[in-house]
Order: sequence, then C-alpha cells, then structure tokens
Amino acid sequence: MFNKLADWLNDRTGYRAMMHEALEEPIPGGARWRYVFGSALSTTFMVQAVTGILLMTSYSPSSSTAWGSVFYISKEMTLGWFIRGIHHFGSQAMVVLLAMHLIQVLVAGAYRAPREVNWWFGMALLFLTLGFSLTGYLLPWDQKGYWATKVATNIASGTPVIGPYLSKVVVGGSDYGNQTLTRFYGLHVGALPALFVMCLAAHVALFRKHGLTPPADASKRTAGKFWPEQLFMDSVVSVAVFGILTFLVVSEHGANLDAPADPASANYPARPEWYFLSLFQLLKHFEGDRVILGTFVIPTALMVVMLLIPLFDKVLPRGLAYFLSCGFVFAVVGGAIYLTVEAVKADEKDTLFQAERVRADQARERALALAADPKYGIPPDGAMYVLLRDPFTHGQSVLSRKCLNCHYFDGKGQVSHDESGKETSTPQTASDLKGFGSRAWLRGLLENPRSDSHFGKVKACGGMARWKKNSKLTSKELDSVADFFEKFVIPTPPEMTPEEWEAQEGLAEHPGYVAFNKEGECTTCHSEWGSSNPEAPNLFGWGSKAWITRMIHKPEAADRYGYLDKKDQMPAFGSDQLSENDMDTLIRFLKGDYLVPAK
Amino acid sequence: MNRRDFYRFGTLALGGLVSLALAVPGVAYILDPILKKKGREGDYQELTSLSRLQVGVPEVFPIIEERQDAWVKYPPEPVGAVWLIRQPAGSTEEVLALSAECPHLGCAVNLSSDRKSFFCPCHTSSFKFNGNPINQIPPRAMDSLKVDVTKDSDPKVRVKFERFRPQIKEKKPLV
Repeated sequence: MFNKLADWLNDRTGYRAMMHEALEEPIPGGARWRYVFGSALSTTFMVQAVTGILLMTSYSPSSSTAWGSVFYISKEMTLGWFIRGIHHFGSQAMVVLLAMHLIQVLVAGAYRAPREVNWWFGMALLFLTLGFSLTGYLLPWDQKGYWATKVATNIASGTPVIGPYLSKVVVGGSDYGNQTLTRFYGLHVGALPALFVMCLAAHVALFRKHGLTPPADASKRTAGKFWPEQLFMDSVVSVAVFGILTFLVVSEHGANLDAPADPASANYPARPEWYFLSLFQLLKHFEGDRVILGTFVIPTALMVVMLLIPLFDKVLPRGLAYFLSCGFVFAVVGGAIYLTVEAVKADEKDTLFQAERVRADQARERALALAADPKYGIPPDGAMYVLLRDPFTHGQSVLSRKCLNCHYFDGKGQVSHDESGKETSTPQTASDLKGFGSRAWLRGLLENPRSDSHFGKVKACGGMARWKKNSKLTSKELDSVADFFEKFVIPTPPEMTPEEWEAQEGLAEHPGYVAFNKEGECTTCHSEWGSSNPEAPNLFGWGSKAWITRMIHKPEAADRYGYLDKKDQMPAFGSDQLSENDMDTLIRFLKGDYLVPAK
Repeated sequence: MNRRDFYRFGTLALGGLVSLALAVPGVAYILDPILKKKGREGDYQELTSLSRLQVGVPEVFPIIEERQDAWVKYPPEPVGAVWLIRQPAGSTEEVLALSAECPHLGCAVNLSSDRKSFFCPCHTSSFKFNGNPINQIPPRAMDSLKVDVTKDSDPKVRVKFERFRPQIKEKKPLV
C-alpha cells in the first residue's frame, strides 16, 4: 500500500531521482571531518529560522512594546528563555562557523577557477549573516542594542557621499524610534532571510555543479558518497553545535536583556557584540578626521581584497597567489583577534567603564524586578517608563542632581571619586532629607533642631533651636506631637481646606494637638494653619505631597520661607526645572513609596 | 550491522535528536497559553448601594479592573459590564446580577427599545429580566454572577465578575 502510494508520487514528481541526485553525490577521496562546516552552517541557519519564527509569534516591534515583549518571552512564556537563548547564541555560532568554513575553503584552494562565483556567493552570505547580527541586536530595544546599533548607523552615516542618506533611510529618520525598529525588523525577518535563502540556494547549486575540490591525495584514496558517510559526520557536528548552544543557553540562563532603551541616559558604556569588537577597537586608533580610515577605508579595502582573492591566479603564479591569499586572510583574522584582545583588556583596566557597567547592570536588574512585580509591571505607554517612573531610580537621581548640592541624604551629598578612588562629598548647607516628611524626621527635629540632619547647617532657620532652649514640653508630649502629625497632618489630602481639616473628628482632642497649642509652645510662631505666619512656615499638610511640592516650587512664598532674607531662602525649582514626573518620583522616593530592592 | 548501516542509523538518530531538542521546546512555547496556570479568580467588587436600585428596573454597571495584557499592565479600567436587577422583597436573593456578555457569541447585551426585556444587537438574542431566553437564538439563559449584599446600615451590592464559555448549553467558566 505504502509502496504503491510512493510509486504514484514518484510518477508525478520523480522524487526518487531527486533524492538520489541529492544524496549520492560522490566525494573524491572519501568523507572527511573538514567538510562539515557548510552543513553545520545550514543546520544552524535552520535552527535560527525555526527559533526566529517562534520568536516572531510573540515579538512586537515598536519602541514602546519591543522590550516588554522580549521580557515576556524571556521571563513569562513556557521555555521562552530557551528559544530566545538558542536564537541568541545561534547567531554567534553562525559567525564562528562562517569563519571556519571560509578558512577551510581558502586552505583547500576551493575558491579557484572555476569556483570564483561560488566564493562570491559565500562572501554575500557572510555579509548577510553580519546583517542579521546587526539588525537583530537592536530588536530587544534594550540599552545594549540601542546604543551599540546607534554607533553602527552613525558609522554608516560617515560613508562618503551616500552615508547621510543611507543612514536616514535605514534609521527611518534622524532619530531612533518606531520606524527604526519596524525597518530593522522588516530587514531581519523578511528581506535578509529571502536574500540569504536565494544566495544559499545558488551557493549549494554551484557547489554541486563543480563538485568538491578534490584533495591532492584523492586518487590514492577510495571515493565516498555524501550519503551516508559524509552526512553522518555532518550530523555528528550538528549535534555537537546544538549541544554547545544548549550548554551556553542553560549555563547563561538564556540571553541577556539589558534595561529598556533610554535615549536620555548619559553614560551607558556601549559595546558591540564580541565579533564586532575588533572593528570597534580599530576606531580607537584613528583620531579626528582620520576616523574615516577605521570606519570606512580599511573595512572596505579588506572587503574588496577578499572579493578579489579568486582572481589573484590570473595575474600571479598559482603558488604565490595561494600564499598571498592565505597570508592575507590569516593576517586579517590575526589582526581581528589582536584588536579584540586589546579591546577586552582596555575595558578590564578602565575603572570608569567598569563602574558604568556596574550601574548599567543595576539598572537592568531593577527594570527586570519592576517589570516582573505584579504591583508595578510595564505601563501601557512603554517599557522606558519602568525606570523613569521608579522613585528608587529616577526620584533618587533627581534628588542627587537637584537637591544634594546643598542638602544631604543619609549623611552624604553629591559624591565623587578622585583618582585613587577616595570618596568626597559636597559640603552640607541644608538639612538631611532622609525620611523628610515622616514622623521620625519630625521627632528628630523636635528633639534636637541643631543636629546636622535638621537645621544645624542652616543658620537662618534658628527659630526651632531658640524654641527648644525654652521649651517645657516633655519627651512624651513631643512624642504625641509627632503622633499628631503622623495621624492628621502628613496624610492631609490635597482637596481638603484648613477649615475642614480642623473640624475633623478627634483632631482637637488629640494630645499632640493639645501639646502643640499648650502655652503657645508651637503656636507662637506656627500660629495659623492654612495661612502665612510672620516668622515660620505654615504647617498645614506638612510632609504631604502637596506641601513638599509647594515648598520646592515656591520656597519664597509667604506660607513657606518667605519670612527669611532672600539670600537665606532655598532656591526655587519651578516646573521648568522639575517635570511632574520628577517631582512625583522625588517625593515618593523621600517617602519610601517604591519597590524595595531585594538584597 | 555494517559500517554503512551504522552511518545510516546514526545519521537518522542524530538528526532526530536535534529536531526533537528543538521541536519539544518549540511546541511547548507555542502551547504556552494552554500550559500557563489559570489566571487568578476575580474578587467581589462593590458596584453600588442597594438603596439606589429600584425593584425590577435593570441598571448596568461597569466592572473596573486592573488588566494584565501579556507584558503590559493597564491601570484600572472597565473590562466588562453587569446588569443588576433588584428583586421584590421576600425573594431568595435581594439582587440579581447578570453578565452583560451574551451567552451566544459574547456581544454586549442591552435593553430592548421598549425597555421591557434584554436584547443583544448582534444576533437578536432576547432575554427576560430574570435572564431566561425569550427566543431560540441563545444557547442558555444570561449568566448570573455571585452577589453579596453587605449587612451595614447602607447595604452595598458586591459582585464577583466571571466570564463563561459562549455557545454551549451549560454555564462553564472560561479558562
């Protein structure tokens, strides 16, 4: 029955002859391990195609969704980390196997006439593979891919004459964004695979047309066949390659995902994937205008020579051409290895790079933790906001940039390191903001207004110290004042008026309120809730978001510190200097309202 | 087994190994929506106070929930709607809650133009105010939801929102 069906199919298609043709290819000199690279490359390409299509079913190419979808694949989907990991390391295997294949073909002299055109198809496949690497690196839209690819397209824009147009077309405009991703994605999953398959088909067809280049001793050895001897060796190597990929994926827990791309991050230590490191390092050897040598002239010259290798035989004696070709390729590979080692060593020695890498890793872990947390997650407007709306990341950074040149936080101002690594901090001229607006901070103030944490460094704010000298409030009464603030003052909602606030049930009877009013202890200066006092800030809603916001926007207002001399007032930070998000994350950071990082 | 047979079987075995090592994770990856654990069950959600409902007059309320759509976490927003019908005094339940999702094919059920029955604009399913079908279009009655009326001085109506499989006779939760 099965045979009949097969016969019928064979009648209509002639598949047996095709299979025979495909499998019974003679191999002069017999099957050899050194012939495995082409097959290993084809297998790896198949693996890339399968994992790539799987990834396509879950990936979303836009600047707001790309990182989130890759995060979802890597961290949430069943075995998504494995599929993406294989695709990630598979791309590197392609580059390594290509280099081995190229060297094998070169050493065997298989580029010579009549196989010149096949050498060129091979070179085309090499460039397409590098094209896959470059376009794929950007797709997660993480810091690593974003900055490394930005460097690459900027290099392309330096190409004489067409550079600026080329980069504008590829990037989809002058700035990186949605169009960059959709274009790179279209290239990566559409244009490049189509070209690759066409070139691969031509490459294999030409290979079959000319046959294997026979080794010198082929006549002394028995000839073999592709099936099953050579195919067995190819399979062993394919299993080995897949085994290595699996090992790498499992030991590295899949492919890395850096923090979401942030065009505003000032100090991301961008590095390309390792096989582009030599080109990266090359640029460091050319200064100023001469960088064009590293970005364009040298790579283009190397490329042209590589393409011309099969033609050397025409003008040079066969032996010399072979020697020069091999010498050239080995020199290029050697030079690339040298530059790669140089790049790695330079980074190892570079303490600034190391510090920035540590910061980038912290940002990565923070972003992943927030994205995975059910309470936070990735907001609809994009993964970039995962960190931008995080008080611990962004609020702390705003605090450091805008506040810590006068204030301290937890005993430190703006910290810098000198060359020996010694830490220095800006001098303190205002209070320590750690816990500002909390019961604990207030209790500390009531205990010792002159401590460095409070008004010790602010001569103009001596009022509290003068009160403290003559105050008769007991420690218990001070506790109750702090309790009162915690219960009634700090949680004041922004829409509440001072009258509504004072009319609240239980407020007037609270022992802290009683102590506050006792013999004018506090009310001598802080006499009014809700309007300005002649020599003290108005405490209505002290510690609430609304109070702190007004304090930062208008410290000179009459209900804040308007009573101080102009020179003693805190400088105002208007909404031109602090965005709504800056303010929100800053205040939430001060209040400890954020996902506490796991130790 | 001779050398050639060893190569033959070896090639098939090794090729099969690589294919399986890729196919098994690949299939698991594609089947992820089935393999994933069930989503958490919704909680009771307060929709209105009992005193604001008139006996026998259906009123629709949105269900507001935080929604996780694959990697995106949406802030609280309407994800569905519920019809509440206060029952006459002495009924077993004080309030009947009916999901506005039609059991036929999931369109949103509204009031008919005479406001005397429920009507689905997609395929003209009609239901009485107790949820029972009037015509033969829908496979079952409108899906009732669990209701909890609080015991305080101004009782609140709380409803547990669930979704059910369309097109079948029985009311089965959508998983």
